Amino acid sequence: MNPYRCVFRMGIEKSLEYRVNFLLTLLSAVFPIVIQTFLWNYLYGNADAAALFGYSHDQILVYTLLATLVSQLVHTGFEYQVNEDIKNGGLNKYLVRPVTYRYYQLCSFFGEKMPQLFLLLIVATGLVGFSVLVLGLGLTPLRILAFVGSLLLALLLNFFLFYCVALLSFWLTDVNLLFGTVSVVLVVVSGGVFPMDIFGEKIALLFRILPFGYTTQFCVNIINGKLDWGQVGTGFCCQLFWIAAFALLTFWMWRRGLKRYVAVGG
Amino acid sequence: MEHTFNRQTGVSHTPKRRLAALGRYLRLFFVFAKFSLMSQLEYRVNFAAGVLVETGWMLIKLLYVAVVYRAGINIGVLTPDHITLFIGTYVLMTGFYMLYYNNFTSISSLVQEGQLDMYLVKPVSSQFLVTLRRLDFSLLLPDFVAGIVMIAYGWRRAQLPSDWRSVTGFVILLLLSNLLTYSLFLLPNLLCFWFISTRGIADFTAALWDFNNMPQMIYGKWMQRIGTFILPVFVITNFPGLFLMGQLSGGLFVWSVAAPFLFFFLARLLWTRALKSYASASS
Repeated sequence: MNPYRCVFRMGIEKSLEYRVNFLLTLLSAVFPIVIQTFLWNYLYGNADAAALFGYSHDQILVYTLLATLVSQLVHTGFEYQVNEDIKNGGLNKYLVRPVTYRYYQLCSFFGEKMPQLFLLLIVATGLVGFSVLVLGLGLTPLRILAFVGSLLLALLLNFFLFYCVALLSFWLTDVNLLFGTVSVVLVVVSGGVFPMDIFGEKIALLFRILPFGYTTQFCVNIINGKLDWGQVGTGFCCQLFWIAAFALLTFWMWRRGLKRYVAVGG
Repeated sequence: MEHTFNRQTGVSHTPKRRLAALGRYLRLFFVFAKFSLMSQLEYRVNFAAGVLVETGWMLIKLLYVAVVYRAGINIGVLTPDHITLFIGTYVLMTGFYMLYYNNFTSISSLVQEGQLDMYLVKPVSSQFLVTLRRLDFSLLLPDFVAGIVMIAYGWRRAQLPSDWRSVTGFVILLLLSNLLTYSLFLLPNLLCFWFISTRGIADFTAALWDFNNMPQMIYGKWMQRIGTFILPVFVITNFPGLFLMGQLSGGLFVWSVAAPFLFFFLARLLWTRALKSYASASS
């Protein structure tokens, strides 16, 4: 059997082992959605917030409903394992096997994410259905397809982004202490709390250039109709560019890092 | 064990002895604080990482302030400056909560692994020892600094009274809010004595705490009532600010003083019940 397929299946099993945990995490994600819904309802009810923030009331509500879920979906966790393997010599067992460590982690990550993606799509279908019926959100099958495609690319981008951060373990001993900070900051700058383009045109431009928004904000703005097809196309190109850039960076970091690796404790 | 402790410390006897016991616990608390700080400063990188993580979380809270200022509208009687004061109070209280938060989340592992035995045989209240033994100053630091700055900024910009009565009242309400935070958020964590997995409970309480991210006025009336009287999270960060603004009615002021003691009593009661269910497994 193909080892990567096997790792992928193990990832699925690992994820399903803690399904109650995942459901509870999803449930706790409901609270920030409630808080933000009240906030937006108040702001849009008492000011011309649509002109100010650049989102219609419906668009911002759909954003609030989905951004937290997408943010949870793309969230990683393998970086601690990579750090542990590099620090304590656990990497040795992968180096002597006929597998590529990067693809091993990638397949495991995607395997773990598949049940979550499936569940997210069910929840998203309910939320989007609600938005279409109650909020009058216009939606086409092509837009849904683009949303799913952007989610898969967002997963890939976030994987390579965090893999780069994890590979810093070759150079820094206590890098795992930074993972928490990086994770929280990336949730913010990826638009997991608020869309970053509501804070002005300059910030919006900055986040159109940087890779972070393509892990959350871009995906959600496809489904809520904020982006026209031209912007969606540009967004996909940027997603692919950043995936390629970070993938190349991981190749380079891996090669340089292995030269420093001393296999202590393996 | 609790009975032995009472006999040794005299907590349940005369007011004079109660006061002496309180003094003893305060001294003990400062000893815990001193040792926690010393051990954290020994591992400075860990300390810096703690500060960084908490700063990241604070960034999320500041985003709410940014949104409110950008909208530039009032929420009920609250101007954006008042809202800064309210969110500053929330940030400050988060810092105090984070100071002992890790003790709460580690209760479940103490119960599951039977390590609670060690704390039960000590001549000090087991609840005090378990919930306040380790204090994390790296999590307090960024919230404390940012909270104080935001409170001072909002207070000054909103031109709220700064006479001794207002300041004293505000500080007393903050102290009472600390007692309420401790008691209210200890309650769900004690469920680990009956349930194995409490990760979901921890996530739930953390999410509940975040309702204070915005002043209570943005929520519906029923949510405000629930958040004030049933799960009084709004009392913690909204009432000190409302007091400063002269918007706290007599009845609500009484509740802001009574609720911390009521929930502390409930927490004590549940702790005693929980200890009776403790099976000391795996020890």
